[in-house]
Order: sequence, then C-alpha cells, then structure tokens
Amino acid sequence: MKTLGAFLIAAMLASLPGALAAQPPADIVCVQCHGRQTGRTGEPVALWRQSIHAENGIGCNGCHGGDPNDADNAMSPARGFIGVPAESAIPAVCGKCHVGVMNDYLSSAHGKALGGGGPTCVTCHGNHKVLRASLDLINEKDCSRCHGFERARIIRDAMQKTEGSIVAIDRRISRYKNEGADVERIEKGLFALRNRFHTLFHDQDVEKVWKEAVRIDGELGKIEAVLGEMNETRRQRKIVGAFAVGGALLAALLFHLLRKSYD
Amino acid sequence: MSIIEKAVDWLDVRIGVRELAKEWGSGYLLPRNINFWYSMGSILMFIFVMQVVTGILLLIHYVPDSEKAFTSVTAIMNDVPYGWLIRMSHAVGSNLMVAVALLHMFSVLFMGSYKAPRELNWLSGFILLNLILALCLTGYLLPWSQLSFWATTVATNSAGAIPYIGPALVEFARGGKLVGPPTLGRFFALHVALLPAAMVALLGVHFFLLERIGISTPPFGHGVRKAHWRGDAFRYDAHPGGIPFIPNYLMQDATSISIYLALFLAVVFFDPYMFFPIGAFVPANPYLTPAHIKPEWYFLPNYQTLKIFSSELVGLAAQGIAMTLLALLPFLDRGKERHPLKRPVFMVASVGGIILWVGLMVWGHLS
Repeated sequence: MKTLGAFLIAAMLASLPGALAAQPPADIVCVQCHGRQTGRTGEPVALWRQSIHAENGIGCNGCHGGDPNDADNAMSPARGFIGVPAESAIPAVCGKCHVGVMNDYLSSAHGKALGGGGPTCVTCHGNHKVLRASLDLINEKDCSRCHGFERARIIRDAMQKTEGSIVAIDRRISRYKNEGADVERIEKGLFALRNRFHTLFHDQDVEKVWKEAVRIDGELGKIEAVLGEMNETRRQRKIVGAFAVGGALLAALLFHLLRKSYD
Repeated sequence: MSIIEKAVDWLDVRIGVRELAKEWGSGYLLPRNINFWYSMGSILMFIFVMQVVTGILLLIHYVPDSEKAFTSVTAIMNDVPYGWLIRMSHAVGSNLMVAVALLHMFSVLFMGSYKAPRELNWLSGFILLNLILALCLTGYLLPWSQLSFWATTVATNSAGAIPYIGPALVEFARGGKLVGPPTLGRFFALHVALLPAAMVALLGVHFFLLERIGISTPPFGHGVRKAHWRGDAFRYDAHPGGIPFIPNYLMQDATSISIYLALFLAVVFFDPYMFFPIGAFVPANPYLTPAHIKPEWYFLPNYQTLKIFSSELVGLAAQGIAMTLLALLPFLDRGKERHPLKRPVFMVASVGGIILWVGLMVWGHLS
C-alpha cells in the first residue's frame, strides 16, 4: 500500500506527451555584447528594449547596418555597418523603411531646416527608445525646446478626435482578431488610413490638416460600421446560446424527473 | 401493423432483436446503489460522437497544406455557414473531453472499480485517455497558427532528450529536422485516421470488457454489497434485483449528458476563447518565435515538471515512470477493500497527488 501511495503521488505528475517551455528568441550579437556593457555603449540596449522597434523585431542592424549574427564582423563596414549616422543623414537612415514619412518630413518646415538647426527624426521620436508615432509626441515640453507651442497645439487639437477613433478601432480590431474573425480587409484599411493620417503629423498647414482629418473620419466611420455588424452578430449568437443552454438545462431537469418517476 | 413493427418482426425472426433489446436494455440490471459518476462514460461517448461529427464537417473545408491550412480555418470561422460553431464545438469539445475523461478516471480510482477482475477495463481506459491526449496534441497543429506551430515544435523537441534515439525520434515525428509541411501531413493522418480508428477499436475492447465482466458495484450508498470475486473462475458480476439500464439508468445518462451539454454550450456561445491563447489566430511564422508559449491546461503539469528538473531527461523519465505506475495500478493495489474512507493511505496519496497535479498546473500557468 505504501508503494501504491508513493506511486500515486508520482503518477499524478504526469501524462504522456510532454511539452517544454519555449525559449525566447536568442538575442542578436549586438545586444549580447552591448547588453553586458555599462555606460554610453551599454545604454542603447536598455533603451532599445523599450522601443517600438524592439516590439516589432527591428534590431540594431536595421538602422546601423552590420551583421547581427557574426560577432567578429558585426561592426564591419564590409557588412554594411555605418556606426552613428551624421545628423544630416538621419532622415535617410529612417527613410530606408519609412519612405513616405521621410518625404513628408523633408517637405515640411522641419525638414527644410535640416542641417540648419532644425529637428531630425530622433529629435521628436527618440533614437534608441524610438516611440510609436502618436499625438503625444506633439507636446509643449518637446516643441518648446525649439519654438512656441501655439501653432502645434491647434494642429494637435484638430487631430485629437481622429487619433482617438483610430486607437479605439485598432483595439476593437485586435479583439476580434484574437477571436478568429477575418479582419484582414479592415485591418489593412485602418493601416492605410493611419499612415495617411500620420503624414499630417509632419505638416504645419492648419487648414489642410483639418480638412484631411475630416475626410479620414468619414473613412473610419465605414470601418466602424463593419465592426458594428460583427458586434451585432456576436450579440445575436449569445442570445441563441442563452436559449440553447436553457434548453439543455430544461432537458436535464425533465430527464431527472423522469428517472425519479421510475424509482 | 405499422411499417416499423413489420421491420422489427422481419429482423426479430432473423437475428432476435427483441431478445437483444431485452438483454441489453430492460434485462440489463445495474446495482441499486449506482450513482451519478457511472454516467461519465456515457458523457465521454457523447463527446466522442460530437467530435467525430464536427471533425467530419471540418474536414469538408479544411485543407491540410501548410500554405492553405490557416486560410482554410479562417474561412471556416468566417465564411462557412455556422463554421464558427463547428470549429468552436470541436475545440471546446476536445478540452472538455480531457476534463470528463479525468473525472471518469478519478471516479474509478476513488470507488476502487479498477480492482480485480477489472484490471483490463482500467488498462484499456488508461490507453484511451492517452489516445485522447494524442488526438489533442495532433489536432493542435492543424490550424497552422503561431501557437500550433511553436507548441508542436516545443512538444516534439522534448523527445530529443531521450538518449541515443531521441534526435532520430524527433526527426521521425516531424518528418524532417524542423516542424514543417511534412509534420502537418503526419499529424493530420494521425488525427483524422489512425488515432480515431485506434480509439474506436479500444472503445470496443472497453465495452466488451464492461459487458463481459459486468458493471462494478459502488462501495457506498444504499444496499451496498461486497464483491464476490474470488479469482478461481470466470463469473459474470450480475446484479439480481437491480435497476434496469433501460429506462432507469438511461434517464440518468440523459440527465448527465444534458448537464454536460449546457456547460458545453455555455462555453461555446459565451467564452470559447478561454481555450484559445494569444497566437491561436495568427498564421504560423517559422522565423518569429513568440516570447512565451504554454501548452494547453492538461499538459501544464508536464510542462512544469520538465522545468523543475535540471535535466530534460530526468523530467521525461519521471513522467514515464509515473505513467507506467498509473497504468499498472490494479496490479499493484491488490487489496479487496474499495471504500475510499477505509483506504486511508490510498486516500492521502490520491488526494495529495491530485493537489500536486493541480498545483503544478497552476504553477505552470503562472510561471
């Protein structure tokens, strides 16, 4: 009996097909090496980990070039390593991926002041702790580093409602996506609208910003209508489900009473 | 005379259907103190049939091709009429099947129904439980989502810890070095053909043994009687003066199945997503390892056991030993007493084991 007791405890531990913990993906060599360093050369890793780039799997090599898988040649110019880009070259580095945004920036008052004391991408978005593009980047503290906030405030206020709608719709789409709904079309639609909206972030023409924001709001309304239909479908399913559950419980009660009658 | 009566008469003179109906129905007597827990097997049969039916319906639209599997499942969920209901029923049903199978096993354990002469019933039931788990594991890969891809990668990887044959075993299971299209083909064949066929065969054995040996008497309740098994010759465990299966216990089965159905429908209609963690609706990407993958709730104790031990091999060995011992339980526990309260060592070990198992599950979930 003691053997039985011991084995039962062990037996409850297990069943046949084992599953192991997944290991997180291995860090690239840049992170492995700089992550162990302190001071100026180590700081970027901690900052990068909090960035939108890290969230989307964009590593150091995405901006600085080099070979992220070969420690010996990680910083070899032959492998495309560019080191720290010069200030005037920053828009081109970011523009490797964010082509449209770079063009918006270059045609804006900010871009036209490039090299003459004007801000670059990293002035507002940060360099290693790159922030997700949002209206929060237009704030008195940051804008006032270079100029007054009045004009920027008008532009930000004009875009606030649209930004709020985009964020809310994005959340709803994510929720439905996590429920297996086919949201690819509206997700792409929102992606395009968000990009279109974000091009306004680099514009300083108040009237243009206002009109475009209204047009985008109209497009967002169409996506909201699709989401509303999805919501209604789910509501109807729950009503049907409530009847189905009630029916099953009623059947259980009837079968139980029937059994009692046989006793 | 109605056409049904004519058909019954036609069959009766040929194969004696009325006699069979009496023998298997109203003439099939069960112990008077039979309880609710004896209907777990019927619930499991109901779930199995539901899984087969929903599985066949899914097969109509599912494409077992790594390029198309995820899209086909998305289409089932969104474009096929009631496809979402079929898929959710299949997924929720698989989880509840494991839960009910465990309840069935625990009830057999606590009522001592595994004891002689029912060792083979236990053994066939134990194999059936493992087949259910294997069906769950193989079915998990089929949607070809991030979750299914990486969970399968991790699960098949663990076999690599076995000395000498481990790496070859992993490659055989995957059909290559890594999880890929050949793995999907293998798991699909296992899930829709080999494992269900094995399950039907084992169910046949399980039912044959139940019918041949006779149903056990619960060790408690009104009118309890001692088992008369002596081990010298085969005797059918009859229950003279018992209650007939039809209609009495059939109504208990129907009650239990209806209660199960209410629970099942509540989950399907109100929150089936409790069984779909993050990554379940994202297409598989072999180049993007998700940060944290955890197995389904019923594999969490295994997952945590493997993490506790310093070596994967030791963790696997511990699980293998535990499973072997559990399979051989009736051959190790030969005492005649079946009442749980009169088996204190057994009770402490069983309850402790279950608490440990649930504890590992919670630990695995939170870790």
